[in-house]
Amino acid sequence: MLELSRAIRGLACCLPLVLLGAPPLRADDLSFVRDIQPLLARHCFACHGPDEEHREADLRLDQRQAAVDSGAIVPGKPDESELVRRVLADDADQRMPPPAANDTLTAEEKELLRRWIEAGADYQPHWAFQPPVRPPLPEFDGLAADMNKWAAWPRNPIDRFVLRRLLDEGLTPAAEADRYTLVRRLYLDLLGLPPTPEEADAFVADSQPDAYQRLVDRLLESKHYGERWARLWLDLARYSDTNGYEKDRPRSAWPYRDWVIRALNDDLPFDQFTVEQLAGDMLPGATIEQRIATGFHRQTMLNEEGGIDPLEFRFYALVDRVATTGTVWLGLTTGCAQCHSHKYDPISHTDYYRLLALLNNADEPDLQVPDPRVVERREQLQREIARLESELPGQFPPADGEGPVDQRRAANLEGKFAEWLEAERPRAVAWKTLRPRTLETNLPRLEAQPDGSIFSSGDITKRDVFRLSFTLQEDATALRLEVLPDPRLPAGGPGRAYYEGRQGDFFLSEVSATSDGQPVAFSAASHSFGKISIGSGSADAGNVLDGDGSTGWSTAGRESEAHQLVLNLAQPLPAGAELQLEMLFERHFAASLGRFRWSSTSAGGQPRASQLPVEIEDLLGRQPPTWNDAERSELRRHYLRVAPELAEARRPIDALRKQMPELPTTLVFEERPADNPRPTFRHHRGEYLSPREEVAPGLPAVFSSDAPPADRLQLARWLASDRNPLVARVSVNRAWRALFGAGLVRTSGDFGTQSEPPTHPELLDWLACEFMERGWSQKQLHRLIVTSATYRQDSSVSEELLRRDPLNLLLARGPRFRVDAELVRDIMLRASGLLSDKMYGPSVYPPQLDSVTALAYGNTPWPQSQGEDRYRRSLYTFSKRTAPFAAYLVFDGPTGETCTARRDRSNTPLQALTLLNDAMYLELARALAERAVGEADGAPQRAAWMFRRVLTRPPEADEIAVLVEFQQRQRQRLEAGELKAEEIGGPRADAKLAAWVMTARVIMNLDEAITRP
Amino acid sequence: MNLHELRLRTRRHFFQDCGIGLGQVALASLLAGQMPAARGLAEEQAAEAAADPQRPTAPRPAHFAAKARRVIYLFMAGAPSQLELFDYKPKLAELEGKPLPPSVIKGQRYAFIQPDAAVLGPRFRFARHGQAGVELSEVLPHLAEVVDELAIIRSMHTDLFNHAPAQLLWNTGSGIPGRPSMGSWLSYGIGSEADDLPSFVVLKSGGSLSGGAAMWSSGFLPSTHQGVPFRDQGDPILHVSNPAGYDTRAQRDSLDVIRGLNQRRLDLVGDPEIATRINAYEMAFRMQARAPELMDFAAEDQATLEMYGAKPGEGGQAFANNCLLARRLAERGVRFIQVYHAGWDHHSDVAGGVKAQCRQTDQAVAALLRDLRQRGMLDDTLVVWGGEFGRTPMVEASAALGRSQGRDHHPQAFTMWLAGGGIRPGVTLGATDELGFHVVERPVHVHDLQATILHCLGIDHRRLTFKFRGLNFRLTGVEEHHPVREILAS
Repeated sequence: MLELSRAIRGLACCLPLVLLGAPPLRADDLSFVRDIQPLLARHCFACHGPDEEHREADLRLDQRQAAVDSGAIVPGKPDESELVRRVLADDADQRMPPPAANDTLTAEEKELLRRWIEAGADYQPHWAFQPPVRPPLPEFDGLAADMNKWAAWPRNPIDRFVLRRLLDEGLTPAAEADRYTLVRRLYLDLLGLPPTPEEADAFVADSQPDAYQRLVDRLLESKHYGERWARLWLDLARYSDTNGYEKDRPRSAWPYRDWVIRALNDDLPFDQFTVEQLAGDMLPGATIEQRIATGFHRQTMLNEEGGIDPLEFRFYALVDRVATTGTVWLGLTTGCAQCHSHKYDPISHTDYYRLLALLNNADEPDLQVPDPRVVERREQLQREIARLESELPGQFPPADGEGPVDQRRAANLEGKFAEWLEAERPRAVAWKTLRPRTLETNLPRLEAQPDGSIFSSGDITKRDVFRLSFTLQEDATALRLEVLPDPRLPAGGPGRAYYEGRQGDFFLSEVSATSDGQPVAFSAASHSFGKISIGSGSADAGNVLDGDGSTGWSTAGRESEAHQLVLNLAQPLPAGAELQLEMLFERHFAASLGRFRWSSTSAGGQPRASQLPVEIEDLLGRQPPTWNDAERSELRRHYLRVAPELAEARRPIDALRKQMPELPTTLVFEERPADNPRPTFRHHRGEYLSPREEVAPGLPAVFSSDAPPADRLQLARWLASDRNPLVARVSVNRAWRALFGAGLVRTSGDFGTQSEPPTHPELLDWLACEFMERGWSQKQLHRLIVTSATYRQDSSVSEELLRRDPLNLLLARGPRFRVDAELVRDIMLRASGLLSDKMYGPSVYPPQLDSVTALAYGNTPWPQSQGEDRYRRSLYTFSKRTAPFAAYLVFDGPTGETCTARRDRSNTPLQALTLLNDAMYLELARALAERAVGEADGAPQRAAWMFRRVLTRPPEADEIAVLVEFQQRQRQRLEAGELKAEEIGGPRADAKLAAWVMTARVIMNLDEAITRP
Repeated sequence: MNLHELRLRTRRHFFQDCGIGLGQVALASLLAGQMPAARGLAEEQAAEAAADPQRPTAPRPAHFAAKARRVIYLFMAGAPSQLELFDYKPKLAELEGKPLPPSVIKGQRYAFIQPDAAVLGPRFRFARHGQAGVELSEVLPHLAEVVDELAIIRSMHTDLFNHAPAQLLWNTGSGIPGRPSMGSWLSYGIGSEADDLPSFVVLKSGGSLSGGAAMWSSGFLPSTHQGVPFRDQGDPILHVSNPAGYDTRAQRDSLDVIRGLNQRRLDLVGDPEIATRINAYEMAFRMQARAPELMDFAAEDQATLEMYGAKPGEGGQAFANNCLLARRLAERGVRFIQVYHAGWDHHSDVAGGVKAQCRQTDQAVAALLRDLRQRGMLDDTLVVWGGEFGRTPMVEASAALGRSQGRDHHPQAFTMWLAGGGIRPGVTLGATDELGFHVVERPVHVHDLQATILHCLGIDHRRLTFKFRGLNFRLTGVEEHHPVREILAS
């Protein structure tokens, strides 16, 4: 970075120069990056750029060597350069860009090109694509006498870079902020919460020289640190508690949110933090936690609207993943390369899909999280159920007659059991599993399991067709289809529905059969259970034979259970016959089966679907009935579960089963098996419906690497390594933005050729190197920044400084800005004393009017939380994408729909209405006032007490006077009956308290209340 | 560089704190000329620079003289059947019950039906109306009376065939949530004439909206420009009423103390954001005063109420009430008023469904046009009517879903109309084939219509851009699109 070209430095300086009133750049100060590259990019690269597919005349102008070799550019000799000749050509056939492109260069632009070639046609690589190099620290020897005192100002190297720039501009740093400002600033920045007056006073009173350092260390160890910084990361992860789009149903993603909090509190190094989130599933021996971390890229939206093409929206989610990866780890806008080669940054259309391919080989299951509390409860219930079941025989009614009751009971049980066996055995059918010879489908992959069942994986569509063939081992009179649960399937299966319909649902529209080329007719169909989800249609077994794809069989509502369908053949098929079965799954959502098994029987008498579990039916149907002890006790166990005599005794068992809590789930990535990779294609114009040639996974060519990543794990490792020139810069810039309100590169999330250059390029690189060398520790990075003198500056600004540097680009003062949306509420929660410390777990519903979510699809209710969940930190608020929590949205909170690298910081009347009139805040104002009345005596003391809870610093006398005067005036109105105390202050409020509530509300509405000073 | 931030702050700084008498254009060109990132944005900067620093939604000059000063967009969510309303296809009656040939269907995907579904004939009679003899369905008797005001486009087409994405495409130019909506673009581009109401208001009636809040999001534009949905329960604007127990004086007293203490702080620390906040609180107070008057229909005469069929507080008349409210918002200078009416998604019984929706909407729509005309506002108010896509010539029936005699989503061809400011009345543009399946004459894409709406407001859609993450974004996307010249008033 020492070699940073003069041009780039010039560029970096140009904005402040302008704003600081210095003369503008001289007209002959040409910069490749600023003047030439955008021009070439805009007018030439489309046909002569990185995109090989659209390259004309085999000429590329984005690389100097190629441009010179081709003769387009002859450095120093514009008149000999083909490029100049062509752009100046009068002849329409010769002129570039071609007249048809309707893209003529202006005379000024032509002149720029000519002058640039004349000056040697210097190409300059974009600074951000060069690895950062640690710059030397600025020295301050030989300062003018009146400036000499500033040499002692720096507290750490950050300050040297800042000071150098300030002195060069003829400015000096601001004084250190007062201690109340510092303590509030640190609490808000590091924890996202204001200090209590006691905490603030403790710091102010701490006269040790290392008081500040110790405060920083203590805050970095607070569990609230992770909550504060997780929210910023969740903006990037586009975290939400709902799926987005039309239906916007709830999803369970909070285990991922909790993972982020824990990872930040543990200071998981950023490289590992990256690898686990992008590819934790692929780490050897991946832990549950590492798999939960892969939820990062599962935060994309899921469209559950009826009738969508699920693969189309999977494609959009993937596009979002590439864009998000680009923003978070590369600081690059990759989005445009989805449709065509990037016009400015060196990412070709093919590069884009190579990058996409690296992220495109994962399945997207729900992971059950073994929450220890839930696991323990489940085990406890299971033990209890086992105990109660073992006691069932002792509750069987005894037979009438003589003898000890236990003997009569046992005898009765054995007698009834034998009767049951006798009754069931003739009805039991001996089925033989059909093992498939071939398995074909339109898309999903079918795989035979050892038990003869078939498991489906890979992608599914709204119209899946399975074609199976079997060789019959014996004569067949009927076929049986078992639909089977499997923990790998949504909701445990048996179906694969994952959106719109019930999770784990299936919809079997038709079954048809041929044997040796001839259609096979069925005479009847039966099922053990049938119900469809969505719609009023029947789920009769016969639907699968009626030739109408819109009717079918499903077992909706009984997910994770096995059921069966029996089809009787009109004519028996002989042993040895070839049987082809075609299963059609056609619904307005993708709903093919996940696990199933076919069997046949030679039994006569029109077998029908049985309610018995197949294992039991197998045993009952065995001829002759030779059961070993284990088999016999299995039959007996089953009998105990169905015996009418025990119906009453089983009731507590059924009740316990209903209490069995489900394990929480979370959304994860799971890399596909090596033998079933998902191919990636280049999509013409970025359109889902226009796939072209297949592309191999890989990095964009600009990031040449000795060991180019070939899969997601390798990508993750590359992204968070010193081989990626951008990541450390992008990361430190993000931290800088969080702590200073704006990044050193202001376009957070874009470091490409079109980005704003850094205000302090050497500082950015120094921090980037420091970050990597300190083992990617985010806490150390934050400590480094907040302990700088630059950070500790006072934020007040004189008119003169404001005029010279309105945006504080030069950092001649501390930054002052309105806190993020969630902090607005968290500040008031903490000030009121109602803030709950509870961490983690499912999201909660702070008070909000129903009319907010009523606007969303389906008139969604907002089930307001009660008790402590009402007062949890805002990070835990349920985030609904199509109707975001209004009190956050109004303060520029994100919707979770796209990766947010930079929130807006607006200042609007609707914010005023929220803070003034939202019942949520009025409730907090009441709590604050009630506490004030209880904690302090005397009006000035009460006003000061509330003031400090909200604003931290002690009030000035005139401020107190204004507040006390207000309180008294309102009290008079209340006492006069002009205002009603109980309406303002709550049912038990008197005039005095109500007036304090009004005063608390005023304090909570001060600009300072929601400002990080 | 965060351009907006720069602009806003610099403006605040120059105008308010420095009081430099810099010419606005000079400032804009200074910024535009010296900042690499500002290239191509000179015009927007000029517009921004002209604004009052304390009012980011203050009116700003457009690119050229505007014919319309505001938009009322009647968004018929769910997608009304053009075949039952505007695009009469007797051939469908002839072919009823037979499947369309695969050569017509091509690769089109459908939401619910299979491509070989049979044809369904038009469910209603059509007749010619107005001076131009425009063919309209019998279920639009009121619209028929004002049909000469309309420019009808029978050749609309879109890219998306699911509700949420297609509604988002209409509102934001992209099917994926996250982009700024049309109303936000307008607020950003030319501001608003209202200083006590939001610049972009969203009204809603009927069923659920598929696209959600993303349809009025400001996306990456400054969030000042986001649409404000009016609620149909409680306060129309969230928290616009004083809390229980607070009268106007109590609110004013509170605001005075807040203002005084904020001013004190401003004097001390000099942060111009404090001045902005003081101003925001004052505008909030004005909004509080304005809202009750806005919502109170008492000032409307009986004839007007009857013309719309408006009955305040009656849910069944919500659309009619919203149409009247839209006019009142238009009168008060709101720039973009979006009136959603959901309930047109007739997968089953398209005849009954369309008839029912027309009963709820036809009279009020016609009344709105009449009312605007009578008040002399139609000339500078652009009214747009349309859904997110059309409906299939084929029938939808499904035993599982209990559907029959319906129509599925059809993105290839549908009808919309525009009227008022900037629009040439009495035009019917474009045509579909005899099956109503494909556009055969003058196709108009969503982005073309968006370009047309912006054009009526004096905006060149190619030049209303915002730089975000290194790219210049615009409402109408990267492909080439044009305003529909044929329907523009000369």
